[in-house]
Amino acid sequence: MQKHRSSGKATSVLRPSTPPDIGPRSQRQRIVDAMIDSCAEKTYAATTITDIVAGARISRTTFYKHFPDKRACFDAAIADCIEQLREAAAAAHTPGEEPGDAVRKGTRAVLEAMAARPGLAQLMTGDAIAVDPLVIERYRKATLPALEALWSANGGPVQAHTDPRLAFGQAQVLILNQIATGKTKRLPELLPEIVYLAVTPYGGHEEALEQSRLVREAATDSVVRR
Amino acid sequence: MTESPEDLRRWRLPRGRHGLPRELVERSQRERLLAAVVRVTVANGYEATTVGDILGEAGVGRESFYELFDDKLDCMLAAHRLLIDDLEQQIRGVYLVDGPWPGRMREALSATLEWFSADPDTARFMLVELSTVGPAFRPIFQAEFARAIALFEEGMDGAKPELAQANELAVGAILARIYEEVVLGRAAELRRLLPDLTYEALVPFVGEEQARAAASSA
Repeated sequence: MQKHRSSGKATSVLRPSTPPDIGPRSQRQRIVDAMIDSCAEKTYAATTITDIVAGARISRTTFYKHFPDKRACFDAAIADCIEQLREAAAAAHTPGEEPGDAVRKGTRAVLEAMAARPGLAQLMTGDAIAVDPLVIERYRKATLPALEALWSANGGPVQAHTDPRLAFGQAQVLILNQIATGKTKRLPELLPEIVYLAVTPYGGHEEALEQSRLVREAATDSVVRR
Repeated sequence: MTESPEDLRRWRLPRGRHGLPRELVERSQRERLLAAVVRVTVANGYEATTVGDILGEAGVGRESFYELFDDKLDCMLAAHRLLIDDLEQQIRGVYLVDGPWPGRMREALSATLEWFSADPDTARFMLVELSTVGPAFRPIFQAEFARAIALFEEGMDGAKPELAQANELAVGAILARIYEEVVLGRAAELRRLLPDLTYEALVPFVGEEQARAAASSA
């Protein structure tokens, strides 16, 4: 690792720096995207700096300008994944909406975002967690307080009916199974189950069943209309 | 090649390079290689493990290895098949018997937790290392998850949940709970999950009262 770095520094003196049309921000994003894609294709452990450099169409020097090593780039990929899914969920509903409505819309948006970008789903399950179990904690911190806030917004703190951490783990298993079955593009099919899991910790079993029924009915309606 | 579950349990229990009883060392080369791939991949990670590492741990020659296995992955998957079959045997023995479903479910969970806590290396191999082999992991996960759900359903006696995919959610809950303990290095303490896990697996099917009763006798 250290060797690459020093040779990188030497070449950066000789080569012209970043072309003016590709700013450093988009360069960094391309590296992160290449990391997400490579992890999805061949696991984190099998991913090399060479893969990322080739995927991002940048030089090794440029990689080391943005990240000290592969692990730091992976951490940035996890952060990017969380941010993309958070943005998708936040854009799908408006503040002050009924918690059930907000969860249905937000969950649909997250599943659609993962279907459109299978690498995101891949980074939430399987070998990405094996890289560092703390990744699970990062995902939960990004998800569970936001869910709780939807219910507490209506009046004071809420009491958990079931363990939200377990619900999150169950959602991960269902998503992993959908990926394993080769149906990543059809992740939105899991909507009734994931909505149930997202509602049940703070909304309770009955409310979760009701919200799950609503998305299932909506799905049937749209099929009938077609 | 016949490998009985009893043999398997004996070889997966010992830990450490020098803790192996003599009879184990004398076992078939295949079994020694399977035991070695578990220990070596857990210690070094699948990607960094070489066939040479497995040979060194097993005390088996390269030629014998390639007579038995195509490559590192083939050896890894053979160990996985042997272990998952053993786990299923343990569960079937206590789950598919006479008696009310909640009690049998608790016993099945108890056997599962017992199996994973008996040897933390094996637990880590099955739940964590296997996920790092790349695309070959996907059909395995799919098949094993389907198999677990089929077994869960086989032992049920007509309890009807309100949610369509309740069986997937119940098996998913069990897997998620065990996975988390194992990935955090707490496999040895898995047994303490039994009351909570019993409650969580049963409640969608039998309601709170019965689930609590089954959990409290855990």
